[in-house]
Amino acid sequence: MSLLSLEHVSVAYDNRLILEDFNLSLQKGQLLSLLGPSGCGKTTTLRLIAGFLNAEAGNFMFSGKDYTKVPVEKRNFGFVFQSYALFPHLSVFDNVAFGLRLRKLKEAEVKKRVNRMLETVSLGGFEKRLPGALSGGQRQRVAIARALVIEPDLLLFDEPLSNLDANLRVNMRVEIRRIQQELGITTVYVSHDQEECFSISDQVAVMNNGKIEQLDHPANIFKYPASEFVARFIGFGNFIAFDGRNDEGADIELSRGELKFQAAKRPGGEGNTGLLGAIRPDDLQLLGAGADMGTGTEGNALTGKVQVSTYLGRSYQYQVETELGVFTVNQEMEQPFIQGQQVTVYFPKEKLVLVQ
Amino acid sequence: MRMNKRVLLLLLPGLLFLAAFMLVPITLTIASTFVQDGKLTLEGYLYFFRDGYFNRILLTTLRVSVVTTLVCMVLGYPAAYYISRASARKKSLLLALSIFPLLTSPVVRSFSWMIILGKKGLINSFLVNTGLIAKPLDILYTPTAMMIGLVHLFLPLIIITLLGVMENLDHELVRAARSLGASPFAAFRKITFPLTVPGLIIGGILVFVGSLTAYTTPALLGGKERVVSTFLYQNAMTLNDWQAASVIAVIMIVITFVVVGLMNAWANRLNPKG
Amino acid sequence: MLSLYTLLVFIFLLGPLVIISITSFEPGTVLKFPPEGFSLKWYKNIFEVSAFMETFRTSIVISLLGNLLALLLGVPAAYALSRYRFHGRDTLNAVFLSPVLIPGIVLGFTLLRYLIVVYNLPIVAGLLIGHTVIMLPFIIRVIASSLENFDFAVEEAAQSLGATRVYTFFKVVLPNIRSGILAAILIAFLESFNNVDISVFMTGPGISTLPIQMLTYVQNYFDPTIAAISVILMVLTAALMFIIERLMGFAYFTKR
Repeated sequence: MSLLSLEHVSVAYDNRLILEDFNLSLQKGQLLSLLGPSGCGKTTTLRLIAGFLNAEAGNFMFSGKDYTKVPVEKRNFGFVFQSYALFPHLSVFDNVAFGLRLRKLKEAEVKKRVNRMLETVSLGGFEKRLPGALSGGQRQRVAIARALVIEPDLLLFDEPLSNLDANLRVNMRVEIRRIQQELGITTVYVSHDQEECFSISDQVAVMNNGKIEQLDHPANIFKYPASEFVARFIGFGNFIAFDGRNDEGADIELSRGELKFQAAKRPGGEGNTGLLGAIRPDDLQLLGAGADMGTGTEGNALTGKVQVSTYLGRSYQYQVETELGVFTVNQEMEQPFIQGQQVTVYFPKEKLVLVQ
Repeated sequence: MRMNKRVLLLLLPGLLFLAAFMLVPITLTIASTFVQDGKLTLEGYLYFFRDGYFNRILLTTLRVSVVTTLVCMVLGYPAAYYISRASARKKSLLLALSIFPLLTSPVVRSFSWMIILGKKGLINSFLVNTGLIAKPLDILYTPTAMMIGLVHLFLPLIIITLLGVMENLDHELVRAARSLGASPFAAFRKITFPLTVPGLIIGGILVFVGSLTAYTTPALLGGKERVVSTFLYQNAMTLNDWQAASVIAVIMIVITFVVVGLMNAWANRLNPKG
Repeated sequence: MLSLYTLLVFIFLLGPLVIISITSFEPGTVLKFPPEGFSLKWYKNIFEVSAFMETFRTSIVISLLGNLLALLLGVPAAYALSRYRFHGRDTLNAVFLSPVLIPGIVLGFTLLRYLIVVYNLPIVAGLLIGHTVIMLPFIIRVIASSLENFDFAVEEAAQSLGATRVYTFFKVVLPNIRSGILAAILIAFLESFNNVDISVFMTGPGISTLPIQMLTYVQNYFDPTIAAISVILMVLTAALMFIIERLMGFAYFTKR
């Protein structure tokens, strides 16, 4: 049975429905990310779970109990804010102790737990500082410690790393994953950064327009996006709209007018439905015109002309114009193609994914 | 978001208080001016506008207010511009020196001009002692004295209002204009001035409305010269003619709102940022 | 050129206040500039004229009580106006700031006419209510401007840690806008303490405020007592202004 479930939930803001008949469930101990562009409803979902928002309809069940009407302060959920939301007038120690003192713990116990938690987030020795005297990363650690020290039944993160610089972001997400797994605490994590979500989550829900487009393990989403929206969002930059498909053989046979393509079936068989082919720029291959393509590559190729070439550091990026439109290809190579050069774009069948 | 119960509960005490002690008395006052002997009438107003004495007072008030506003603009704008360009230390000192008079009692500030403008005041004793004039000038208790007092009263207001606008001005714009070939004066005329005009108008509104309704300064420096506000006071407290005082009150409200409305609209139209 | 112009403007602004200070030390019975000597006798006179002491006390009491009332009404309103976005917010904001738009003399007169004469309230009550009305916009403006810099996520953080709304307001919001509230109190205090337009209608047997007493005195006597009081008031004003600057800087004053 799941620990948390949202059942047929609707949320409106300013007479506009943000979530409508929304459903979500999560197992104990898991870290679920809500991923999507701004305005997709991910933050609304998180704030609904936290209790900052009320649902117009539907239920929020937690641990077998109806939490729909339970006020924020009675839920015992830890929340980590994008702006950290540290109490500016309280020291690091008092910030972390805030929730414990509200729970009427003895001061000796408060001290013990706060100090232990500050050690956990590597902030021993910072007890007396005010939040204003801390760096962004340190503030974030205090915010996490403050949310964790109350031993919450659920931990909620709202874009916690978006105010940090790139290096720190990578370190902090490792830290968050480590602490979450160490304590085995069920977590919902909101972000618009796919790499961040994929790297720390057990499950990722990609959201769009108040709906979950796909909920799966990160690796499955990365390889097999279920819809065009998910594919675009996670970096499948190239699409071919096919007009026919045949699933009888070992591979899926696809056609677009006279052109024939093949796509490998997904192991396990499910998914890979629809007629829209998607492929990442990194997975396309460019060959000089007339180059030997080896065997087994009849079809799955288009001839074209290089329109633009840009240097990305590790690789070159090309815009190649073909009869099916312009494709973006990233390729590492010593001798780059030049503008106007005739090339062949090759679509490896294992990398060509079909989406709805 | 719709206003929810919590918001309403927080706002209600204040709103009820203002309704009971501001809105209701003012509304009743306005209503009372249209009723005489149980009949609906405009007689209260017609009486005033037919009365030469009142028209003279109204005219004096308007004249004093217009001149005060113009003088404040002319004195305030360059000073504010200078302060806005000054070094940080100088700026905060001059800002403090502008705010101090603003927070000082208007009685004190107007009284200081009695010492300066009086028959035996600073100016007259200087002029008489140096033999420039034989007899002391009558400055105190004239509209001129009122004007001087009002300029003194409201100049800080227009300075800090303009300062607020000038501080928000992006000086890169002036540099951009200079880089395109504008002389310092042309840059001022084409960039700085148009962008600060709305501030000048808003400051002007504050001064004009303030002068129009000021009581302390005309009461101290005006002597027997009446303006609308001292006339209201005289009718209410000395003559006990409440009907007349109410009519004057309504006239003051109307003038205030019309002036604020018109000048605001003007400032918005002139606002180059739309 | 511009600096000379500005210097002259400031001489015009501050000169009279310097002159009034110098003349307060006049030993004679008539205000003169320059004074004919140095004496503190007019300062002593303030304390000997009982009307000054009594009206001073009234002024202080009215300003402080009115301040308290305005805080009780204004803090919740300022909080609601800053914290929540709702339809009609701008209109309500304008309503709360409207007492500054109504000419003071008109407000004073209407309060006299209805509160005291029609509703039969005692003069002191009218005085208190009138001062509360004029302080309210200042309280709301200053506190709202200090709430502008407050991250309301902090409030949600406290609630997620188990704090109720009321607890959160007193333990988290209030401590963080403390200096704003103190500044609001001081600004409103000066506004009320210096007020003439309302108080001038609210005088009665044994009841008057200091500015009104000064006004009456000036119209009858021309000795340096008022100059001496002026100096004391200016010192008080400067001290309060210094504290206000410490609390929230001067940026508030240049905002329109």
